[in-house]
Amino acid sequence: MTSEIDRYNWHLKGRCYKLGHDVPHAGGVIPASMITAREFDPQKLIPHLFEETDPGFHTRVNAGDIIVTGRNFGMGPKMNGYIAMQALGLGLVCESMPFLAYRAAVGCGVPVLTDCINVTELCDSGDELEIDFRSGMFFNHTRDIQKEYPPLPEALQEIIALGGNTGWLKRWWQQQQAGQQ
Amino acid sequence: MGMTAVEKVLARTAGKAVVRAGDVVYPDPDFIMIHDGLVRGVRRELDALGIDRLASPDKVMMVTDHEVIYGSARAAEFGVINRNAAKAWGIKNFYDVGRGGHGHIFPMESGLLLPGMFYFDNDRHATNAGAIGAFGFRVGAEISRVLATGTNWVMAPKTVQLKLRGSLKPGVHARDIGFRIARLLHEGALDFELDYRVLEFAGDLDGLDLAARAALCNSPTEMRAYGVFFPPSVAILERAKKHAQRPFTPVFADADADYESSATLDIGALEPQVAPPGGIHKSIDIGEAAGRKIDHAFIGACGSGMYEDFVLAAQFLHGRRLAPGVRMFIAPGSEQSTRRLLADGLMQIFMEAGVIPLPAGCGPCNDAVVGPLHTGEVSISTASNSNAGRFGAKDAQLFLGSPATVAASAVAGVITDPRTLTQH
Repeated sequence: MTSEIDRYNWHLKGRCYKLGHDVPHAGGVIPASMITAREFDPQKLIPHLFEETDPGFHTRVNAGDIIVTGRNFGMGPKMNGYIAMQALGLGLVCESMPFLAYRAAVGCGVPVLTDCINVTELCDSGDELEIDFRSGMFFNHTRDIQKEYPPLPEALQEIIALGGNTGWLKRWWQQQQAGQQ
Repeated sequence: MGMTAVEKVLARTAGKAVVRAGDVVYPDPDFIMIHDGLVRGVRRELDALGIDRLASPDKVMMVTDHEVIYGSARAAEFGVINRNAAKAWGIKNFYDVGRGGHGHIFPMESGLLLPGMFYFDNDRHATNAGAIGAFGFRVGAEISRVLATGTNWVMAPKTVQLKLRGSLKPGVHARDIGFRIARLLHEGALDFELDYRVLEFAGDLDGLDLAARAALCNSPTEMRAYGVFFPPSVAILERAKKHAQRPFTPVFADADADYESSATLDIGALEPQVAPPGGIHKSIDIGEAAGRKIDHAFIGACGSGMYEDFVLAAQFLHGRRLAPGVRMFIAPGSEQSTRRLLADGLMQIFMEAGVIPLPAGCGPCNDAVVGPLHTGEVSISTASNSNAGRFGAKDAQLFLGSPATVAASAVAGVITDPRTLTQH
């Protein structure tokens, strides 16, 4: 397992996409219709990520870009928006998240930091950011700011390295099968 | 530094001497619960991965409570899928239609869920376990990992403590305390962060029986508590011993446990509460809502589905009829309660009043699969919450109250203070 964690790219470097406080999952992150339709296909979800607040978001974003949010991001323990974020290769850095929203992001394999107090004061949309999710180091190269935040707990790193819960279960089952032979 | 109740339960089940809030642990649960609404998705996920066996099928309780009466072809299809899954996975403890009841009620009533236990559940109202001094943790769709591997990661939650002082006035119910707590939290008068916390009750709890404790687990859950905990009283322990289907060891917080915050709430002057449409955090004294005409009433669901809740409601319906134009449903929390209500004559009171009994389970509280409302209609119920659309039409007006308030209102045809009606 160590090798899978080590092989994973914990170091994202990209542009900042900044959001405010209290962005709900339904409507704020992804339209409620995607949630009620139980749509979990990343390719179908990607065009709808932040659609209601920033149409065309998915066409301007690149792998490695970082979503930085204020307090209480992602209300409602839904997974749909995180599935799209993971498929796009985005990172997520929040001042705070309801715990079950954090759990959902981890479960979808999104590299995520929470409890990053006042992080929205250290960056603006478009800034060049660099985040090490394993150490919690935050760099804003545009403004020459460096800050250390609580890292991803070690116990959760393998879930993200394997792409989320399903990837984790797949690897676990392969190991079970291999162990029986 | 001692441990809180949840830290102790997690330490026991994770095989550790000490667990502190924030630790990530992998508890070995006393059992695992999955309800009928989620089996299809979990089966698909595990099948796609080739996972064809569960870690401990004997620990799994599969419960049909969300859609008990198949009101659609889709529901009947789900029923088949669920029964096939139970068979394929070798689940013996399958409480299917008509065989158990509400998954957050009947296990407490029948001695399957006991003080000190810990279990995983896909559903957030597993917090009801706190009524009997146990913990049920919601992991949503991640129940698939629990089923396949036997556990999942848990970050030990922090605990906040609320001491209750005084005793309720006649006609005031534990649900009313919960509504009031929601309002106080919203206003900041109770300065607690409840997100992913365990709310532990303390103080004058001896007057609260198991049903009252279950009722009080409900509102904190809606305010995002991950667990609610009542230290079991002598009466609760005796009741548990009487029904226990296995040995158990109750758990209590250490005297020097680390609470994130602590507060006291005087309940002696509390009035019956009504949660108006928009949420329990807007709850008001019943005087402010009384007189509002209603079309629909319902008693049941996680917070008000215990046998005692129906005994109380029957006292307001005895010898009376529902007001013209009002339809009312009850959904006892267990088949056992339904049989008791029949045996002791209380079901007769409901039927003579014109109430429609539903089979044990969630009733309309699950997406109104039965007993929905039309546009503009008004309901008062004991549902878990009053989110727009929970009972069908998005613009239906959903009020919440205690079982006493709901029964009194159904008789009067308008929202009614139960203290204005004679109890029989």
